Amino acid sequence: MSLSPSPSRALTAAEVEAFGREIDAVRERVEAEVGERDARYIRRVHAAVRYTEAAGRGLLFLGLFPPFWLLGTLLLGLSKILENMELGHNVMHGQYDWMNDPQFNGKTYEWDIVGTSDNWRHTHNFKHHTYTNIKGMDDDIGYGLLRLFPEQRWRPFYLFQPFFSVIFALLFQWGVAIQNLRIGRLFAGRMSKGEFREAASPVARKAGRQLLKDYVLFPLVAGPFFLPVLLGNVVANGIRNVWTWLIIFCGHFTANAEVFPKSVLRNETRGHWYLRQIRGSSNLKGGRLMHILSGNLSFQIEHHLFPDLPAYRYAQVAPEIRDICQRYGVHYNTGSLWRQFGQVCWRIVRYAFPSKYVPVERRQLVVSEEAS
Amino acid sequence: MHTESALKRWLSPLVDPKIFDFWAAHLSRTWRWERRLARVSAVTAAADGATTLTLRWGRRAPALLPGQHVNITVDVAGVRHTRAYSPTVLDARQWQITVREQPGGCVSHFLSAPERVGSTLEVSAGFGDMLLPQDQAPWLLLAAGSGITPFRSLLRAAAAADALPPSVTLLYWADRAASLCFADEFDQLAADHPQFRWQPLLTREGEAPAARINAEQLAEWAPLLAGSRVYSCGPAGFVSSAEALVAGQALQVVSEAFSLPPLQPAGEPVTITLARSGRQLTVPGGTPLLAALEQAGERPPHGCRMGICNTCSCGKQAGTTEDLLNGALSAEPITALRLCVSSARSDLTLDL
Ligand code: FES
Repeated sequence: MSLSPSPSRALTAAEVEAFGREIDAVRERVEAEVGERDARYIRRVHAAVRYTEAAGRGLLFLGLFPPFWLLGTLLLGLSKILENMELGHNVMHGQYDWMNDPQFNGKTYEWDIVGTSDNWRHTHNFKHHTYTNIKGMDDDIGYGLLRLFPEQRWRPFYLFQPFFSVIFALLFQWGVAIQNLRIGRLFAGRMSKGEFREAASPVARKAGRQLLKDYVLFPLVAGPFFLPVLLGNVVANGIRNVWTWLIIFCGHFTANAEVFPKSVLRNETRGHWYLRQIRGSSNLKGGRLMHILSGNLSFQIEHHLFPDLPAYRYAQVAPEIRDICQRYGVHYNTGSLWRQFGQVCWRIVRYAFPSKYVPVERRQLVVSEEAS
Repeated sequence: MHTESALKRWLSPLVDPKIFDFWAAHLSRTWRWERRLARVSAVTAAADGATTLTLRWGRRAPALLPGQHVNITVDVAGVRHTRAYSPTVLDARQWQITVREQPGGCVSHFLSAPERVGSTLEVSAGFGDMLLPQDQAPWLLLAAGSGITPFRSLLRAAAAADALPPSVTLLYWADRAASLCFADEFDQLAADHPQFRWQPLLTREGEAPAARINAEQLAEWAPLLAGSRVYSCGPAGFVSSAEALVAGQALQVVSEAFSLPPLQPAGEPVTITLARSGRQLTVPGGTPLLAALEQAGERPPHGCRMGICNTCSCGKQAGTTEDLLNGALSAEPITALRLCVSSARSDLTLDL
């Protein structure tokens, strides 16, 4: 079986350079504009997180009355989604470091999920954003659990992956929490118990604190309404888990997403790097609410090009990026959430079953005249 | 006060101070967990191009000794800026700072605006060691421009405590009479305390404008240099000339400069002070800081080395850096920068 064709045209070295320069120009223009408006925006998002959380928790305390329970749970879930995506994710990329406000400092922000920010800054900010879609370097390819590309070798274990995917979505924050621990290496004997304990202890501490807060302290404060509050918190965390899973999978594992071999890193220029980011990402069409709730990761392509620009600017640059891609024949993948979700499901189910292994080395990022 | 710290101790394991501050801001203008906020109660002209702000403390003001500086942080167009000022304590509840408007200076411009009355400013604890001495050695105070502010504070405090030494001379350089601050106060002080003399030296006014600081002036106005305590405060050039002039003669020299160190052309060596480890190293200016620090044997955290992952982001306390991606220079004290895509363009102090 041959390589599935890339929807993007092969560019020459000169074209890649020109392409990179055009994207750089977009970046510079936005950078010069970033200021007061962006600061006001992120402060508003932060206020919205606090208000929805207070309202949600307040209503849950009256949770014996079912409509209050439902509304409280939804508001708390909404608050956690906003905190996770538009606030935490974006702040931790350093998008608001220029404000000099310790509250929005990417290096010190700690978010409201069981995973520690420090681990995530390593697995996500560094590994995923630097080595995007490079097999063996970007752990986000299947998260070490799923087979989503023919370039991953099939094993019988993957037959169960449609089932695992559901569990993974429901418990997504836990997946993120342990991603950096590489438990597989412990079982394979490639990591000593001591090393593991050292790596795991901050994670355990953070997870313990989160569990205590949502599942012990707040329910206790509610006194006789312990159970409804506990249940509401479980559901709110679940809603947030499923939503973030959905946004991330639909931004990365759609039909045309490509993975690359490590060799693309050799002499990689800025232009090559941009190309790789675009060919591994997919946007989601939708309204303003959709963009806010996804932390503007509905502009996954723009986010991967400019992870440190305020995410709320992505909407403004997306048409320009799309236009540049079109002119260079680079596929710009965008579709509705449902369409992209369908493609993700297809990948999960399709690659659960055996398919011919395609060596990733055959997938080239750029075919210049010399290489073809 | 006691109940407040006990409350904090009990709450701290349960409440994130940042979340606490968010809600506290809805209840009180100045009550915060982590920050100290003072309210601006008056904005008045101090001299041509200089403005005095009176700050009111709702509760206990932070510790501050006469002659020290505080960092004042303001939010201008979404960006927090920090500048040092030397306040004068009026009473337990009130301080004054005097701000000289800098051409193109966003903070001085912001603070001088009349609409600041009623707003709040974030103020740090006092720092700096231009303090009241314990003995009675004569003082020679050399001030240029806004370098006068710590001296006003020292003089007021010493006079109030009846602790002025037998001889105090203040030489105060300014471009013209209209830009002198606190002239009336100094005249009054001289009238009340015969051991205090002050001399304005105007560099751009009068028949024969005063020269910049030099040996003749010192010989004329302050013949008692030997055995004196010399304090100088002003722009870097002024302070270094003052230091050179009195070197070896005075009992003690204390100086504070407040202008930026000069820009270093790329390639010239600069000195980097690592605030946490106390190490000082010399690296070539203009090269990416991450690489330069590694060359010097440091191991700062890093990831991508290309400015995307933010792992190498590090606090800068002083100095000018260049963003290598877009060429922008930043002289802002107290900012974060990414080591892999920034270079030093002056001596720097980093949080490492
Ligand atoms: S090392 Fe990644 S931003 Fe500097």
